[in-house]
Amino acid sequence: MSILHVKDLHLGFKTLTGQVDVLHGIDLDIAAGEKVALVGESGSGKSVTARIVLGLLQETRTARINGTVQFDGSDINAMSARDRAALRGTEMSMIFQDPTSSLNPMFTIGNQFTEVLRRRDPKLSKAASHARATALLDEVAIPDPARVLGAYPFQLSGGMNQRVMIAMALANKPKLLLADEPGTALDVSVQAQTLTMMRDMVEQNGTSVLFISHNLGVVREFADRVYVIYRGNIVEDGSTDALFANPQHAYTRALMSAVPRITGAGLPEVPEVSDDFLAPRIRHGDAS
Amino acid sequence: MIRTLRILAANPLSLFGLVLVCLITLAAVFAPWIAPFPTHNGAVVDFANNNRPPSAQNWMGTDLVGRDIFSRILFAYQISLTLGVVVLAIAVPIGTMIGLLAGYIGGWLEMILMRIVDVFLSIPPLVLAIAMMGVLEPTLTNAMLAVTAMWWPWYARLVYSIARGEREEGYVLAAEVIGAGAGHIAFREILPNCLPAIITKMTLDMGFVIIIASSLSFLGLGVQPPTADLGSMVAEGARYLPDSWWLTVFPGLAILVAVFGFNLLGDGLRDVLGVDE
Repeated sequence: MSILHVKDLHLGFKTLTGQVDVLHGIDLDIAAGEKVALVGESGSGKSVTARIVLGLLQETRTARINGTVQFDGSDINAMSARDRAALRGTEMSMIFQDPTSSLNPMFTIGNQFTEVLRRRDPKLSKAASHARATALLDEVAIPDPARVLGAYPFQLSGGMNQRVMIAMALANKPKLLLADEPGTALDVSVQAQTLTMMRDMVEQNGTSVLFISHNLGVVREFADRVYVIYRGNIVEDGSTDALFANPQHAYTRALMSAVPRITGAGLPEVPEVSDDFLAPRIRHGDAS
Repeated sequence: MIRTLRILAANPLSLFGLVLVCLITLAAVFAPWIAPFPTHNGAVVDFANNNRPPSAQNWMGTDLVGRDIFSRILFAYQISLTLGVVVLAIAVPIGTMIGLLAGYIGGWLEMILMRIVDVFLSIPPLVLAIAMMGVLEPTLTNAMLAVTAMWWPWYARLVYSIARGEREEGYVLAAEVIGAGAGHIAFREILPNCLPAIITKMTLDMGFVIIIASSLSFLGLGVQPPTADLGSMVAEGARYLPDSWWLTVFPGLAILVAVFGFNLLGDGLRDVLGVDE
């Protein structure tokens, strides 16, 4: 059974001048333990999709959401705000672009770790959580975890903070991890290191991942399956191998041609809008 | 704490401010023991020695009914500091709470709360306090009430603007994502990030509260005689200037020293805590 099942998801925002539609019927499936990427340009609706899955946009009064979002068999749109909040941080968690700004500068890493662990087990003692946090930081290859737990986020490097974020996000063994362009704010080598680390960790834990990115190189290394999103529509989806070997939708091809090559062949002209990009969705045969 | 003191000590002016504040606080707390004439705080009359210029016996001279001015200044500091502490202890939590709610939760709540704050801010502070004191009995408690009423909106404004900025920070979203409630985020995540600014403003404001309170009692709307108060002492002596200058100059200097001390300390704290204004 799938962990996340999104069917015909529509989203619009009510404004003073009328409704602005953002998502026009998104279908998306993530099986248990599967790593799925959602790829598209800025403003294509990647991040709002993640916010709906997390149940955050449902609290926004101007948002109009229609469609099914089933998480682990229950419909997130139909839940009370309280039940949705209970899922966050326990059954699902998230990793962001900039790890350093995701940590509160006024508290030590250890303090913030305790709060995360207490989401699952409110009575956890300080000592027990310290021991747990030390073990978890050890897993993400942080040398000298005790020092890191006593440090403030701004005293650590971006790569260290990203490891801390990964350890925190997976601390409560969530069923689903949302990664919104993780580590985009880091330099490329550190990003690669932390992504490899994250992949190993989620594979160990059997966590499903919804990986949001515009970086095709990273997606190709990380994801099992890929959804390409353009202007609020899924335009192509399939297994990573099939989709990268044989991209069929005009937009997917444009996206791939826009990846800069280190050999310096120059950047292609990619139109902002094109009729081809609005062509119907293409599913690769092996998509489940 | 020790680190804060060390950085503060590196700046001679802030250190001077800290020393002044400590001296004034000690003087106020121990006034009954260190004042040369402890009884002169109240209704004591000694016409044989009235209106004497500064001398070895009365360092700052005596007032119109023969009371030692130095002793009265020490007791007046008690009133000023108590008033400052109580006003801030009430105004700051109220203002902070309102600013946080408006800044973090937003929406209708923000509209209503901040418009109320704007109304308060649009009335000149001293006028508001004078109006309130005109309606109420002129007592210490009511003076505190009046100053508090004009003080909290500034904190609401300050905390609101910081909270508005922090609301967009990554760690707030991260906290929402792990399921933290609005109260937790407002008070446990955002509030700690507002504290440096609040503490700095509080230190600077102690001086201003003392001035405003003195202004009120200068106008006869604060603490009533015979209790010693810096503002009313200045007012009493003002009629006898320039001949009996010590009646006005010493209480005036006392106000100056207190405000100066708190302002220097506040400036120093702003540097230590890294608050930009």
